[in-house]
Amino acid sequence: MLMVEYSYGPQFMDLGAFQPINRWLSEKNFRKLYGEAAMGWCAMDGEIYGTPQDSGAMAMFYRKDLFDQYGLTVPKTRKDFIEQGRKFKKAAPPNLKYFAAPIGNAMWWIGQVWEAGGKVCDYSDGNWYIDFTNPVAVEVFETWGKWFDEGTLDLEMWWNADWYNSLNEGTTAVLEIGCWFAEWLRYNAPDSEGKWRVAIPPQWNPAKPHNGMIGGSGFYVTSHSKNPEAAAIFANWLNSHPTSLKCLHNYSNLPIMVSTRYEEVIDEVTGPDAFFGGQNIGETLWDAHQLVNTTFVALPIMSNVDESIGLLIQDYVDGKIKRFADILPRWEREVINTMKEFGYSNVVIDKLP
Amino acid sequence: MDEITNEMTDKMRPKKKMNKKTVASIKAYLFLAPFLLVFITMVIYPIALGVKLSLYGQRGARMWYIGFQNFATIFQDPRFWESFRIPLFLLTVQVPLMLFFALIIAFFYEKMEKHGGKLYRFIYYLPHTIPAIVTGIVWSYIFSDSMSPFRPVLDILGFSGAKILARSNLPLILLVIILWAFTGYTAFIIYSSLIAIPKAFSEQAQLDGATFWQIAFKIKMPLLKGVLITLFIFNAIGAIQVFNEPWMLEQLVILPSNYTPAMYIYNSAFAQGRFTYAAAMGLILALITFLISLYVLRNATKQILTGETQELP
Repeated sequence: MLMVEYSYGPQFMDLGAFQPINRWLSEKNFRKLYGEAAMGWCAMDGEIYGTPQDSGAMAMFYRKDLFDQYGLTVPKTRKDFIEQGRKFKKAAPPNLKYFAAPIGNAMWWIGQVWEAGGKVCDYSDGNWYIDFTNPVAVEVFETWGKWFDEGTLDLEMWWNADWYNSLNEGTTAVLEIGCWFAEWLRYNAPDSEGKWRVAIPPQWNPAKPHNGMIGGSGFYVTSHSKNPEAAAIFANWLNSHPTSLKCLHNYSNLPIMVSTRYEEVIDEVTGPDAFFGGQNIGETLWDAHQLVNTTFVALPIMSNVDESIGLLIQDYVDGKIKRFADILPRWEREVINTMKEFGYSNVVIDKLP
Repeated sequence: MDEITNEMTDKMRPKKKMNKKTVASIKAYLFLAPFLLVFITMVIYPIALGVKLSLYGQRGARMWYIGFQNFATIFQDPRFWESFRIPLFLLTVQVPLMLFFALIIAFFYEKMEKHGGKLYRFIYYLPHTIPAIVTGIVWSYIFSDSMSPFRPVLDILGFSGAKILARSNLPLILLVIILWAFTGYTAFIIYSSLIAIPKAFSEQAQLDGATFWQIAFKIKMPLLKGVLITLFIFNAIGAIQVFNEPWMLEQLVILPSNYTPAMYIYNSAFAQGRFTYAAAMGLILALITFLISLYVLRNATKQILTGETQELP
């Protein structure tokens, strides 16, 4: 078995590195145990290759101390999110950031489109679908672009010492990222204990609440497996049986909440969390995960997709690209070229299933 | 007694000589065994495997023989050739600059022999003892936005929002890091050749009224040519294969996957999964490195032999 991030799963499936386990885990059971959306992360064309473990549902982490200090309220909608940002920018000293989106991190940006109810790619009936310039994606990028241009939001590289330092020191008020980040925050920003809270990400359309993901991983049965039956049964037990879920919660640092049976153990494994000022973040994150109810299959070239958005956003930061939304058609072109370069002829462009 | 022994050895010589030779060879190989074992398994075998891989097409775990197609692709892959921009910059700017600085420092080492020269040699050598990856991490802190020790200075000078580690500054930053890491070491090597130069040469020049710098550049530097050429070749190889420093700085600044040839090879293999293509590129890079070294070496030897050593800056 291999533990692989959902967005890289399809690459392995496509290359024949995983083997289907439908014989031991039916589609019906899979949907019952992990929900409809997880089919996009563990299956292609109905062939199931593994089971999902942790959730990458987006969550909003915010500094309660900064929110209190500058009189901000926790935003529930995207409109309110930026209103609070403008208020913050006016009141706070210039070295404080409201929110800095990542330069790079394709899955974060695709996650934003996902959160708004859209997608940019998919796989169906033997074809890869690519449409980065669909109306939802364009709207998301145009809106974020407006916010960058007006100076309310920043762009910066994530995952480096600078970034962790800003989270630890409290120079960033809001962070939106997968719910697994709760543990990362705890370990990488220990001085900020008690100051963070977690909320469901601000909604694009409050009437139709929805969420996207960044990251999360599943356990897949490899083609090399000499005993795929045992592997399949174990993968299923590992990620859905209450006993295992409890164990995983106690010993792993990930939000193991994709299985619908998580409901049976949630009261046991969640509770007030001192790092988050006593908030029961388990419940909030579980709510955030419940809102992920659409799905798609990621492209089999995600590291290239990732590299090209990093360079394009950097071009925007350097002033080489004037309009943020202009990134989308360029990004799409590069992704299509890479698909061609890697020999994919089954690509459908500017259409989604 | 002597006669007897001589007679005995003379009689036994032919047989014993052969034995001795064989025994000596066996002994030699035994002593060499640890090296040979590591050399064959860690150098020869990977190279052979690389050559084999480079002849295959690959997608995932599937591989098929394609002859020299990978090499043909490399010659049409602009991204591979673009990646030589940084090595070329280092080769033409960093390497000569460093040899120049190192030379000056080495002269000072010699001049200060009795005034703490040892201490300076030790201090200047220290950066070289730090692994490049660690160096990269530390420098990335030094050039970071929030933790840079230059930050207060920049703030005072009115550059409070300025990013130090911007993509356009990177070649210069690489230059600083590599100079910092290798100049002291290079100076040390030059110094060790410098002290081998007979004192009589400079004493003679001194009597003729030559100044310290005249002696340094007109008398000693030509005599150092051999070691300078060797150092140039080593550093040229280092420049062409530069990887660690940009790799670490990539955490703070977005870099294309083909920022340097070594990064492109690494990314092709491990981020994009094109192992066989990466193997072929690795061989081409090795060949280019070899050709550059050969060119420098041949030209330099020719110069030395024809005695064109006087026209030096």
